[in-house]
Amino acid sequence: MTSQTNNYSTAGYKLFQVGQFEFRLHAARSIILSGLGLVLVCLGVFSLGLGSQDIAPGDIFSLLTGGTTLSPSDHAILVELRLPRLVLAIICGAMLGLSGAAMQSLTRNGLADPGLLGVREGCILVILFLTLTIPAMPMALRPILGTIGGLAVAAATVSIARSTSNLRFVLIGIGISWLLSAVIAMVLVSLDSSDAQPLLLWITGSLSSATWNVVPVAFSLLMFNGLLLLLASRSSEILSLGAQSAIGLGVNLRRTSIIQLVAATMLSATCVSTIGGVGFIGLIAPHMTKLVIGNNSHASVLTGSAVFGGLLLLGADTIGRVSFLPLQLPAGIILAAIGVPVLLMLLWKRRDEL
Amino acid sequence: MTLVLVAMLIIAALLYMMSGPRLITPMTILSASGALDPHNFDHRIIETIRLPRLLAAMTTGACLGLSGLLLQGLLRNPLGEPHILGLNAGATLAVILATALPLGIPLDGMARPVIAACGGGIVFLATIVFASAGKTGMTLLKVTFCGIAFSALASALSSAILILDDDTLDKVRLWMVGDLSAARIDTVGASLGLLGLALGAAFYVSTCLNALALGDDVATSLGVPVRKVRFIGIVAAALFSGIAVAIAGPIGFVGLIVPNLVRRFAPDYRASVVLSALCGAVLLVLADLAARLIMLPHEIPTGLATAFIGAPVFIVLVARAIR
Repeated sequence: MTSQTNNYSTAGYKLFQVGQFEFRLHAARSIILSGLGLVLVCLGVFSLGLGSQDIAPGDIFSLLTGGTTLSPSDHAILVELRLPRLVLAIICGAMLGLSGAAMQSLTRNGLADPGLLGVREGCILVILFLTLTIPAMPMALRPILGTIGGLAVAAATVSIARSTSNLRFVLIGIGISWLLSAVIAMVLVSLDSSDAQPLLLWITGSLSSATWNVVPVAFSLLMFNGLLLLLASRSSEILSLGAQSAIGLGVNLRRTSIIQLVAATMLSATCVSTIGGVGFIGLIAPHMTKLVIGNNSHASVLTGSAVFGGLLLLGADTIGRVSFLPLQLPAGIILAAIGVPVLLMLLWKRRDEL
Repeated sequence: MTLVLVAMLIIAALLYMMSGPRLITPMTILSASGALDPHNFDHRIIETIRLPRLLAAMTTGACLGLSGLLLQGLLRNPLGEPHILGLNAGATLAVILATALPLGIPLDGMARPVIAACGGGIVFLATIVFASAGKTGMTLLKVTFCGIAFSALASALSSAILILDDDTLDKVRLWMVGDLSAARIDTVGASLGLLGLALGAAFYVSTCLNALALGDDVATSLGVPVRKVRFIGIVAAALFSGIAVAIAGPIGFVGLIVPNLVRRFAPDYRASVVLSALCGAVLLVLADLAARLIMLPHEIPTGLATAFIGAPVFIVLVARAIR
């Protein structure tokens, strides 16, 4: 490993070489991000212990070392109920954060969010139809097919709005998401109420039915799309200078945009097919990241958004799970209560330009 | 124009009375309106099911149309609408709160629309205060976003209350999706006084809206008391939407479509008060007819039928307003 400083604005960066690959890490930002990761782990352990059956953190750690001091029922609660829920909350939160960050960078619009633009509703609609018509379809296929629905909606929005970066795009996306919500509600109404009840909970976005068997699919798609976005992050950074300058600097505009759109939609679709329609994280997480570590490098905004997304969803789910025991509130409701003030703050900050 | 709308309303009402799972001929309807035979099955359907629902649809539609007209005129904004601006969500939250909390408020009669109007008014005020901040003033984007934000907050609170409190959920479940099948005909009767009050206010405000459309400064120089008119107009708009929500629950988009449609034919605000009321009634009667028939034997909530028409209208309006 060597460290170097050159005449580019790489102050604070350290260059690492692994074989023929080299990458730079910003020391301060890496420390902050690892610190946030640590907070996430602590929150996770804290959240594992809470619930209708309280379990001491010491007992949870004993699970790791092997010499478990847990009673069999506590062990089952921990491993079969709380742990998959925790893991899914972190994975899905990270997916939503990444998806929002990619969407905002793609549209160069800080108010873009897969949920607001109708992309999420497109995914929900396709997956809803599939669950109803082909119940035996394998779990792994759902995110892929949901992605197609989301992309179709994105294509419709872009073709009506004709451009992605202006306000028209956001407003038209809102209109389309209203229309699709009406279609979804129509499908739900036509079902018997016993069939509709679990689907309704799924659409609201709830982690209460989390199990281990969706974790591998969700995790691999998170890793795949996360890596894609990180690889495209350099180009998208240059794109923020404007399309003309970026093309002049040798960025493949079309490829970068398609990668970002597909990855963001697929992340959103995966999240929809595992836990349902959770809103606001994609909108808030990137802004929280920019507040904490600044907006200097797109790669660190992406990483930070993933971490903040995990924190937000885990936090919201934990609050919803334990604050009104024995009743549970879906994470979506808590997130709305956190997300609306943040959205209003964003509008307030940009009140002179919007 | 007025005559055309009245004719349309009569035809729509007739169709509404005729169709359903059981077809009733116009002759039967005529004979029922002459002398009601309590032993005739068709007459019973007309009296107990279809007529109350028709009256509720007409009242709600007229209220929503008028609320939209006032909001669009006062805010000079084609997207002014009780659903978008958070009035519906606020009114729903207020009624749910009043049902859930042990305040001892009777939720029948006049109290229901008044509580709904207060809730809607508070959320609406929050929306416009936030949306009008900044140098650019109240732009389409800011109004819509603030409306969505405050609506989301109010809806989240409503859902939280309903998840935690089963009794309240039982009482408001059908009503809160915005469906005329759960319409409360007793509320229609009890709101007549408020309706008259709001209507009077609407007529007064409409005489000033033409001047207000030219801008606050011009209106002031023309002798219009801008602040007073705006205050009265907002109260009236909140009352209209409160009455509509109290009767039928939150139904969106009627208030968006009606004024935009009416003002293409009648740019004068004074004439458009009556026209908006009529047009809103026709639209909601037709929408509810579609909601009842489109998926027989199922019924879809009325609010869904209006969303199917309203969301595309919203998209077209945005595409036209922002180039």
